[in-house]
Amino acid sequence: MTTNSKNTISPESKITKRDFWKVFTRSCTLDSAWNYERQQHLMYCYMMIPVLKRVYGDDKEKMAAALQRHMEFMACTPHIVTLLCGITGAMEEENAKNPNFDATSISAVRTSLMGPMAGVGDSFFWGTLLTIAVGIGVSFAKEGSILGPILFLAIINVPGFAARFYCLKAGFGYGVRFFSDMSATGVIEKITKAVSIVGLMAIGAMVATQVSFSITYKIGVVSGAGEPIQNYIDQIMPAFMPLVLFGVMYWLLGKNIKTTWILVAVIIISCLGVFLGILG
Amino acid sequence: MTDNLLLQAILVALVAFFGYMHSYMGSTMWNRPIIVSALTGLVLGDLKTGIMVGATLELVFLGAVPIGASNPPDMTSGSIIGTAFVVLAHEPVAASVALAVPVATLVLLFDNLQMTFVLTWAAHIADKYAAQGDYKKVEWVARIAGIGNKVVLAVIVGVSFYLGIPVIKDVLAVIPDWIITGMDVAAGIIPAIGFAMLARMIVTKEMSAFLLAGFLAAAYLNISVLGVALFGVVIALVVYYGSKNKQANEAEVTVDDNEF
Repeated sequence: MTTNSKNTISPESKITKRDFWKVFTRSCTLDSAWNYERQQHLMYCYMMIPVLKRVYGDDKEKMAAALQRHMEFMACTPHIVTLLCGITGAMEEENAKNPNFDATSISAVRTSLMGPMAGVGDSFFWGTLLTIAVGIGVSFAKEGSILGPILFLAIINVPGFAARFYCLKAGFGYGVRFFSDMSATGVIEKITKAVSIVGLMAIGAMVATQVSFSITYKIGVVSGAGEPIQNYIDQIMPAFMPLVLFGVMYWLLGKNIKTTWILVAVIIISCLGVFLGILG
Repeated sequence: MTDNLLLQAILVALVAFFGYMHSYMGSTMWNRPIIVSALTGLVLGDLKTGIMVGATLELVFLGAVPIGASNPPDMTSGSIIGTAFVVLAHEPVAASVALAVPVATLVLLFDNLQMTFVLTWAAHIADKYAAQGDYKKVEWVARIAGIGNKVVLAVIVGVSFYLGIPVIKDVLAVIPDWIITGMDVAAGIIPAIGFAMLARMIVTKEMSAFLLAGFLAAAYLNISVLGVALFGVVIALVVYYGSKNKQANEAEVTVDDNEF
């Protein structure tokens, strides 16, 4: 689309650059009308409308079929959903031009790609990237520094909007081949792995710096003059208790215990501990 | 900044609206505590405290991410009310947790009603227009549904603030000290839950060493989280380009389960 002097995204396409940016802007709304029945479908359809309008024009019947197609269930990561918009958008245009095109293939592609894409995207954006952003943001925000919120937003949104843009471009450009090519060459796995390394190291560092727990109960021969147990624990290893707590939580989560219950238990145990003079 | 409770309630509702609109403006995650708490602090006249409360609550809600069909507690409302209370009543930062968690849980219940009934109903209206090929009406339903549910949530936050803050002060005045201190202790432990949830999402056996490396770097070498993450970038680059070169040797694919 960069080498093209006309206002369409490619010489053989009717879709204009303005349409491209409309879809881009609308893709930002994907999660906003989330419902339990079909999740992100309403906004997905909303996002596709600029393309549908361009390729079907006044053909009410085809427009209705396309709208209904995109009102079907949708669950994908908002930051990369544009790849799917681009792919299905390119297919819709093909469908408008080519009478032999099987429109059900659009639904098929839509359904089959959203899962794998969400798998990669969710763990990347809501998992790894969020971890890194929180880790760095909180370390500044703890001191009351405005850099905390600012860095947080930058770490999430610079990659977020870049991904949104490149995915849309790639989607329109490569059509269906894109995602399968990416997975076949293992590029996605490698990127995921590289970013996971940063995320895991950030988690490790956060466990050491942002979990705090100390046993203030004193032991000693003379009552009242003993040393808090914590002083002994600190000699084993710095941040030993946070690491133990992390291990316990990790183990509990593996037992499929609901987080809410763990949370409630932590609060009750903490209060009791303070009440009994062990923690504080 | 201002002592007028009504004006404060309106400002707080605006912060909430802005926070909720994140999902209409690019899933920017500015609905998270680290952002909305700071903004709440700002409109109530104490930005610094707001930012610090945000840091505490961010760790409490760390595991709260919308993945698949699961919806996390509504951290936006929880953070705003929790922060407002700490800022206005000059309570310690950890007291925000005592308020944020129950508020977030309650508001999620309400939001679930919207997501189960109201937004589904909107979708059915849109279905009708879609069947007629009337894309303009579909667009309008989408816009109203997408923004409308945020207006509703923001109003709830504003009203809870207006009615709640004076009441909460009285209620908390009779709560014994050991519960307040207990919340402080809990606020130190709770982040471990979030970290463990994140680790479960990302970790594989071969990758677990990096978790330990990050921990040791921070615990023994006192490197900040930012520093550790930057070292992580270096290692990631080495691994990324390293694996590119020996791709030919990677004929055998190892299948890894997500357990230690």
